[in-house]
Amino acid sequence: MSRAATLGTAPTSGGRATRRALSRAIVGVLLCTGLALLAQGLWIPAKAQLAQVLLERAFAQSLASGQPVKPWPWADTAPVARISAPRLGVSDIVLSGSSGEAMAFGPTEVVAHGPVKVLAAHRDTHFAFIRDLRTGDEIVLQAIDGTLARYRVVAFQTVRWDRFAYPAAPRRELLALATCYPFGATEHGPLRRVAWAEKIG
Amino acid sequence: MISTRDIRQRIALGLTALAAILLSTLVSASLMASEPSDDDPFAAGGLMLRGKGVTEAMPAMRLGTDISAKISGQTARVTVTQAFRNTSDRWMEATYLYPLPEDGAVDSLNMIVGQRIFIGKIRTREDAQAAYDKALAEGRKAGLVEQVRANMFRNTIANVGPGETVLVQVTFQAPVRQLRGSYALRLPLVVGQRYIPPHTIKGQADVADAANASAPLAHPDLGDKLNPVTISVELAPGFDPANIASPYHKIQVQKMGDGRRMITLAKGETPANRDFELRWSAPGTAPAVALFKQRHDGLDYVMAAITPPSSGPTGDVPPREMIFVIDNSGSMSGESMRAAKASLLYALGTLRPQDSFNIIRFDDTMTMLFEDAVPASADQVALGKRFTQGLDADGGTEMLPALQAALSDRREGTPGAIRQVVFLTDGDLSNEREMMAEISQHLGRSRVFMVGIGSAPNSYLMSRMAEAGRGTFTHIGTAEEVDTTMRDLLDRLSLPVASGLKVVVDGANVEFTPAVLPDLYAGEPLVLLARGKDLSGKLTVSGKLAGQDWSRTVDLATAQPSDAVAKLWANRRIADIEAQRWSGQMDGDMADTAIEDLGLKFHLVTSRTSLIAEDATPSRPAGAKLTREELPLLLPAGWDFDQLFGDQGYHSARDAAAGQQELEEQLDLPETATGFMASVWQGLALLALGLGAWVALRRRGLA
Repeated sequence: MSRAATLGTAPTSGGRATRRALSRAIVGVLLCTGLALLAQGLWIPAKAQLAQVLLERAFAQSLASGQPVKPWPWADTAPVARISAPRLGVSDIVLSGSSGEAMAFGPTEVVAHGPVKVLAAHRDTHFAFIRDLRTGDEIVLQAIDGTLARYRVVAFQTVRWDRFAYPAAPRRELLALATCYPFGATEHGPLRRVAWAEKIG
Repeated sequence: MISTRDIRQRIALGLTALAAILLSTLVSASLMASEPSDDDPFAAGGLMLRGKGVTEAMPAMRLGTDISAKISGQTARVTVTQAFRNTSDRWMEATYLYPLPEDGAVDSLNMIVGQRIFIGKIRTREDAQAAYDKALAEGRKAGLVEQVRANMFRNTIANVGPGETVLVQVTFQAPVRQLRGSYALRLPLVVGQRYIPPHTIKGQADVADAANASAPLAHPDLGDKLNPVTISVELAPGFDPANIASPYHKIQVQKMGDGRRMITLAKGETPANRDFELRWSAPGTAPAVALFKQRHDGLDYVMAAITPPSSGPTGDVPPREMIFVIDNSGSMSGESMRAAKASLLYALGTLRPQDSFNIIRFDDTMTMLFEDAVPASADQVALGKRFTQGLDADGGTEMLPALQAALSDRREGTPGAIRQVVFLTDGDLSNEREMMAEISQHLGRSRVFMVGIGSAPNSYLMSRMAEAGRGTFTHIGTAEEVDTTMRDLLDRLSLPVASGLKVVVDGANVEFTPAVLPDLYAGEPLVLLARGKDLSGKLTVSGKLAGQDWSRTVDLATAQPSDAVAKLWANRRIADIEAQRWSGQMDGDMADTAIEDLGLKFHLVTSRTSLIAEDATPSRPAGAKLTREELPLLLPAGWDFDQLFGDQGYHSARDAAAGQQELEEQLDLPETATGFMASVWQGLALLALGLGAWVALRRRGLA
């Protein structure tokens, strides 16, 4: 309202100068905010990719030493496995713990022990590939002790975040990859997409 | 003068600025909306029935049940014989979940294979399980009876050969209920599917318990011939019984001489899909005192049922605050919901303007009609009735929040004011302990009245809640019973209560149970179980009724002998221990030890002791595979299968039944979207706007 009042002042030469300054200011604010948002937005995938480079190195060291190695000195998480989907050419380093912090850098282990593993990652960074995953696709999990576990995708499930359940004693070991759903959405929502894979071999 | 060009410029500039502001607020507002909205299709949820699911094929093991009850005086001895018939060509292990009266004391097990009878022994739960597992592995026949809840038991039987039939016979003692001169014995025939609140599943032990307390459900297409039951009752109440009736089953009554009757089902057998109830009354006025006695292990046990004198209405009933709590969860769908709504409408119709009321409804969510109880003016009551009529049954059974809301009392300490909480529910949930803890710790001046709705309600939960809530428990089996039963209940709620009860036996040191004596509503007897050394002399019950002292004295020498009393005492004592555990007066381990001791000493199946019968010689040939089968239960009569399982629930349940997923663990999935594309788009939009405005301004020479 106050802005509209300013704009409505008489067109004296002083008024014209004010108006010019104001117009410039608005354009400036628009451009700066836009740039800032763009940078902030682009920083997220960039960070996700950059971190993977560091993580890749930490994972290689972990493999060599058999001990989890922190990717950077102040990290509160460490690589625990490498997940890859050969058909899609995807390979990412999985991190321990499921804090939002760790998830910015890579997929995280939500359930790590027992016959069912549950991994989660963002739908627009590391787990964007879930969208292209098909039944029958192979997923390989390499642990830091070097062992390889191969899984085959058997089913997909769309579920509310608080209605998810996994079998306590499945006949075969299972791997669940969870991410947000729907894929293209820009808003946060209650739905999750879960890809289920069964251990083979 | 302002030129048109100037005006246009100003408008363009103003609009650009406004658009920019609007856009950025809109985008950021939509980014903030991360809370799940209420209208998404998955929010409705459903019962957590994924565990065992639906059985669509006829099971390989068929079950037939025969119940034979003998009622003498005020106790019943009931033998339940389950015939497990293996119709397959495989060796089978079968397990069956079934209900018994919540105050029944299970004391014996016989496993009958052909001509041989194996007699069950009482062991601690773990020992019995270990013995069973050993027999199972060695190919020997074994039968195990475990308590899952006080009114829910599980029989498991190992190594039944192809085409073979094994009988499992379980016998229990139960007291006969007495109310206003009429008597009743209730035999539940099916366990209603219980809702298992997700928050109660904290570890592997809880998952195992939830699995134990649930069973697969037979698909309605399999018909109701699955688990047929035959019932015969020999009724010898000690007087010539009148008005013998069974409200839910057609019966045949045969006179046997000296006041005895033989009662059988008119149709021969019935599907196991609703509770059986037998009622009778004494001719003329019912005796005010009944007394039974047993000597066991050097101690005397006495059971006394003493009815206080009746007192008519004493002038005006003081204003009351009535809180109605109605369950509209999925298990209530169908006939139960209609009965519950009719009951509540009836109760609302009896409110007087000086009364106040509130209505709370719950499924896995909860709504309070008013923030606090309001005066029962015509308008408010009409609002309450509309609210009631609009209720639909769906969702899970989260009763705890509703109970907490009902017990939260804003006028605590108002002298003389009566606050009554009336619960209308089937009680089909598995977290009974949470309910009991809440009620025993936060009762205050409120009194809790449980109305058990439907064909197979969880009577155990409701009778215990009523006891801890110092109120009463009433059953409503069908919609036709609503008017008479609710009238009777509401009448009794408005009559004076016998309170401040005390019991003394002269010259003897006596252990009584219940330890905390209840308040008695009109027509209710005080049922006491006592034990002591050489009980003789006089027993006196005294208390206050409508402001006046009253007392009743009985001579213990006149007690009739009954061999049920010691076991009923032990069983009632266990209920007391559980109540003390819930109220925090006794810690869990101590309670477990006490219950285990009682179970072993009185040969009773309890939460800590099981009955095990086993063959000493193997029958399954080495190398023959054993198949385990859990027998499906019928849906209780009046339940709505489609409502309960819905489309989605049904399919996931069917997958579960196929053996893919037996137990599930619930897990909250984390937020997994950075939403960076939103920032990128937002940034680009602002940039485009800014650039557009800049170009426009520049062209007009403003920049």
